Amino acid sequence: MRRQFRDTIMDLASQDAKIILILSDISVYLFNEFKDKYPDRFYNMGICENTLISIAAGLSSQGFFPFVHTIAPFATERSFEQIKLDMCYNQFGGNIVTCGASFDYAHDGATHHCYTDLAILRMLPGVEVIQPGSRRELDILLRSQYNNGKTTYFRLSDYPHDIAIPTEYVNVEFGKGIVLWDSSSKLTVMTAGPILGNVMKACRDLGVNLVYFHTIKPIDKELIARFKDTEILVIHDAFGLYEAICEVPNLSVSYHGLPDKFYEGYGTLQDARREIGLDTESIRSKICSTKEKLS
Amino acid sequence: MIPVCKEIRRDILRISKTSGHGHMPTCFSVVEILHAVYSTLKHNPAIPLWEDSDIFILSKGHAALAHYCVLARFGYLLIEEVNSFGSFMSDFGCHADRLKVPGVEVSTGSLGHGIGVAVGIALGLKLKKSSKKVLVLIGDGEANEGSVWEAIMVAVNLKLNNLTVIYDGNMSQLRGLHIPNPAERFASFGCVVIEINGHEVDSLKMALSKSSNFVKVIVANTQKGYGCRTLVENQYEWHRKSPNEAEFKILMEELDAETI
Repeated sequence: MRRQFRDTIMDLASQDAKIILILSDISVYLFNEFKDKYPDRFYNMGICENTLISIAAGLSSQGFFPFVHTIAPFATERSFEQIKLDMCYNQFGGNIVTCGASFDYAHDGATHHCYTDLAILRMLPGVEVIQPGSRRELDILLRSQYNNGKTTYFRLSDYPHDIAIPTEYVNVEFGKGIVLWDSSSKLTVMTAGPILGNVMKACRDLGVNLVYFHTIKPIDKELIARFKDTEILVIHDAFGLYEAICEVPNLSVSYHGLPDKFYEGYGTLQDARREIGLDTESIRSKICSTKEKLS
Repeated sequence: MIPVCKEIRRDILRISKTSGHGHMPTCFSVVEILHAVYSTLKHNPAIPLWEDSDIFILSKGHAALAHYCVLARFGYLLIEEVNSFGSFMSDFGCHADRLKVPGVEVSTGSLGHGIGVAVGIALGLKLKKSSKKVLVLIGDGEANEGSVWEAIMVAVNLKLNNLTVIYDGNMSQLRGLHIPNPAERFASFGCVVIEINGHEVDSLKMALSKSSNFVKVIVANTQKGYGCRTLVENQYEWHRKSPNEAEFKILMEELDAETI
């Protein structure tokens, strides 16, 4: 997905001289071509995430469209106050594009795991929070949102869901959820981002409704409300989606995701998901038990 | 003390008494700095958003009352408007909002933020090939924040010679994390440093006017509460306190006794 980020921003930068790329010593090699082509719009600025956000705010005040790109926990959890005050309160919007969230960097341990970013950023007034699950979603949403003056968070993953959402009848549109299956079931599974891959495999023959989100804020309340007469099970490898869905009144909704403890292991993303209960088998088992309770 | 700075302090005292708010010792340490800044920078108070204006940012946002009073002196607003300072419907908060007060470029309050935004603005101006300058006032207590030094490192690395950092060395952290030899520290980061008495307006103006090929830091040595003996001698007690009628009278008398 980072390669898509590069491709899209290369294309946008060729048409828009106000795009500035700020890296915190990550993806530097990936953006070599950008650096060569637009040397005065490329900054591998330093490992100082707080200041990178403040600088992006300053650039925004001068009419530029900054993209700050680094690893999720450092851009969001470490720099939360800079995002809150320098970008949001001052209305100096910009784009924050991260990688490695949830357990993409499982092998690096808990210091590099990041599952609060979506939840904490969605609490900030005016922020747009996007968790694209595929390259296509990223491309479309990046193009539609990068220059609207708002603070927009794009959470990239190195492990996209690889599910071809049928393009002929489903538009990827900012702020709109997608009904993948409407089986008139009493149970609706809602999910977001790359974990869709596991979720879809887990419930492909279970006859449930399946709703997918790439935009966490603003959440598509209208779409959620359509399923208010069903039991809603939110399956997500982060915080934020469940809380957003709960803003819709009168739902019967529960969450299958992260426990209230650190994942202290290492290994692969698959190892982490299995341990937490977000591998295909665990998800399937959760959906089946929820379904049984309803029957 | 030059007469106008005495008048600005009177405004600060009066508004602090009326409103019950104000960081008076901090405000008093920066009056000459702010006066010198607005005396030297390129600006047009009649058109606060004039596109050729230099940009000033008060990173130590708790000196907002002093900033408002100086902005009033330079014609951005009427001092009477500031009488509502800190009240529910007021545009003049104890920390300034850029969307409410003409002349305020960045909303600040949490320490260590304004300087980073200033670096971004200075970079943006360079990219636009603008000759405008960016000035940012930070406090010595604020320099406890790591983000201040991050911002300085980046600014020096980007060779932002359109950026001037003014360091209000009012010794606020003698009881906490005091920073000895700030001039040496900024110099060691690669800045051009000018150290002056921060209550001498002419010295400030000279330092501000001096051109530089590098990031410029003016270490302005000041005194918290400068102008009122009571505030100077009891700066911690008065950090957030506002005067009652009797205290106001004493402070005004002390201020009047200051030599001009």
